[in-house]
Amino acid sequence: MNNKILTRRGLGRIAVIASAAGLARPALAQAPREIKIGLVTPLSGAWAKSGELSRMGMEMAVDEVNRDGGIKSLGGARLRLVTGDCGDSPEKAKSAAQRLLSQEPDIVGGAGAYVSSFTLAVTEVTERAGVPWFTLSYADAITNRGFRYVYQTSPTAQTQAEEGLPTLVELAEKTTGRKPTRLGIVMDNTASPVNFTRGLRDGGAQKLGMQIVVDETFTPPLADAGPVMQRVRSARPDILLLLPTAVPDIKLTLEKLNEIGLGKGRLPAINNGGPMGSPDLLRVVGKDMLEGVMFITATWGNKNTQALNDAFRERTGEAWITQDSLSNYAHVMILRDALEAAASTDRDKVNTAIRAMDSTTGAATLFPGGRVKFDERGRREGAALVIAQWQNGVPVSIFPADSAVAQPIWPRR
Amino acid sequence: MFIESFLQATVAGLTVGAIYGLTCVGLALIFGIMRVINFAQGDFMMVGMYLAVGLSALLASAGLAAPFVAALLVAPVLFIAGALLHRFLVSRTTGLQSVGLSADGHQAQLILTLGIALVLQNGAMILLGSTPLAVVSPLSSSAWEVPLMYDDFSTLFLNKARTIGAVVSLGVALVLFRLIRTTHLGKSLRASADNPEAATYMGIDVDRAHRIAFGLGTAVAGVAGGLIVLSYPVQPFVGTEFVIIMYAGVVLGGIGSITGAFWGGMVIGLVQQLSILVLPLQLQNTLVFLVFVLILLLRPQGLFGRSVERA
Repeated sequence: MNNKILTRRGLGRIAVIASAAGLARPALAQAPREIKIGLVTPLSGAWAKSGELSRMGMEMAVDEVNRDGGIKSLGGARLRLVTGDCGDSPEKAKSAAQRLLSQEPDIVGGAGAYVSSFTLAVTEVTERAGVPWFTLSYADAITNRGFRYVYQTSPTAQTQAEEGLPTLVELAEKTTGRKPTRLGIVMDNTASPVNFTRGLRDGGAQKLGMQIVVDETFTPPLADAGPVMQRVRSARPDILLLLPTAVPDIKLTLEKLNEIGLGKGRLPAINNGGPMGSPDLLRVVGKDMLEGVMFITATWGNKNTQALNDAFRERTGEAWITQDSLSNYAHVMILRDALEAAASTDRDKVNTAIRAMDSTTGAATLFPGGRVKFDERGRREGAALVIAQWQNGVPVSIFPADSAVAQPIWPRR
Repeated sequence: MFIESFLQATVAGLTVGAIYGLTCVGLALIFGIMRVINFAQGDFMMVGMYLAVGLSALLASAGLAAPFVAALLVAPVLFIAGALLHRFLVSRTTGLQSVGLSADGHQAQLILTLGIALVLQNGAMILLGSTPLAVVSPLSSSAWEVPLMYDDFSTLFLNKARTIGAVVSLGVALVLFRLIRTTHLGKSLRASADNPEAATYMGIDVDRAHRIAFGLGTAVAGVAGGLIVLSYPVQPFVGTEFVIIMYAGVVLGGIGSITGAFWGGMVIGLVQQLSILVLPLQLQNTLVFLVFVLILLLRPQGLFGRSVERA
């Protein structure tokens, strides 16, 4: 009983202090010494590694901005990163966002939350609070809700599905001088590959002049990939969309592909999504198995990011900068530009500055398409795909050609 | 084309089935002999997988044989762990101590082994993280190729790692069968399984027999895990993916029969892989459980079970 009263009293005190802080805010806004930006991302659970990589990217950007004198139009105000942990479910993601915004009411903008379903939940909270929010998530729904403060820097899932295969066909044709005509699909029945391939079966492949010669969908996890890959071998496709999402299945299918003599790029195998470029795969699957495997993603290290890549490696000890770190590094830089332009920490003014932005320098060069300008819905205009390929134990970007680091290895038959 | 598919699926079924069989034998020792419903069996396997990854890194100088030596070396470690676990925890809910507990101690066993499973899973999560690990060996991506003579393209691929793994599984299972059939220890295990009370009167230390059975069951799960980790990465929750198959195999083969458990696992592997010939790939595991239900309908005691009431 006694305890309860004490707690209430304690709470009351906190409330008083909090409102005092609230009153003091306008005064601070005149010459802020510190500007908070938020990151809400999975820092525990199955996606913890991606969240960790996102945090590394943002921290690096924050340190660079501060090292270069902070936000100059705000008297050299320094940036500070505050984080919330999404855990492993949209519910936890939502409460992480709510907690972060109530603990740090003066956040001017932020980024997150990697998994599309988490981002959908987190942005419900940030939109209501009017916090400009950036995300690398793919789902179309994120920017289909008429939100005014949400910005998607990756091409949406639908765009990727529509442009993925034509881009690959074009790349194959350019590299080998021959248009591939026989398409193979091996995938699991989770949401991402199902959405990615739906259009292909409904005439999308045919429109490209391609015939689907083998089409196998399995329920993960596979016990043995032998019978499946044997069908691939018999059907002799020119390109194989290899879309398992779980690491065990990636390992099984790639090993089998090598075993039947189609590995190391002899049969071009293409996956979809950033996780296929994770350094962890090296330890689980091995360098030889990954050789030649391609994947489609929203950003990847390219010509313009080489200095950044080196700095990132030195700073974090990671083998290379991934999509998570790169996109979130860029998100901080876009926010910095917006803060400079707005010369204010008022969220609406920052948001207006983001809306007005049209840049092809700085952060823009880190994205394919090379431009930071957002449309009505908050989608980055000209957001294009990157294709990366494992070459010699490192995934390197091979498309688009103008920013690619390496030439594609594509067998000429 | 069909012949090639059929043979390839049969080979996959046999190699997958042999390893499933071994995992089922491990469970049969615990579930069959001691009647302990062990939820942690899959997690013992997970521990074996992690140990095998570590050991084969240490044994790297042994070359291609390292992963298999590592898998076998897991056995003594897990035998001791299993025996200790039985001594200090499981024995409190089984054997003579379970007399007087409700439902012969089964409820207490369920909760205990579920607890052990949770501790192992989350302990591994804390210590080793969620990033999957695997033994990377050139053997798991190369095959002995058997050309099929009817045309010049069709070839049967015998994956080296899986084939060796299947042979090792079969070897370990055979050693166990001999142990149970012919040795004094085996006799005391079987007697303790058939009638613990009568066994006590015959001068058999039932508690010790159970401890050995539990240790053996744990060790076998570990060896199976060590063989699986060559082609299947380990993460803390990998056990749950296998434990259902273990139970299905044991029940399919007939509860209480070690040989039956091995064939139960083998049947599951074969049905799972051969199903691809007649059903969409997505339904692989559906057919496994369809066959499971059919066998239980037609032969409730399992393939090798004896249809006698226990005393």
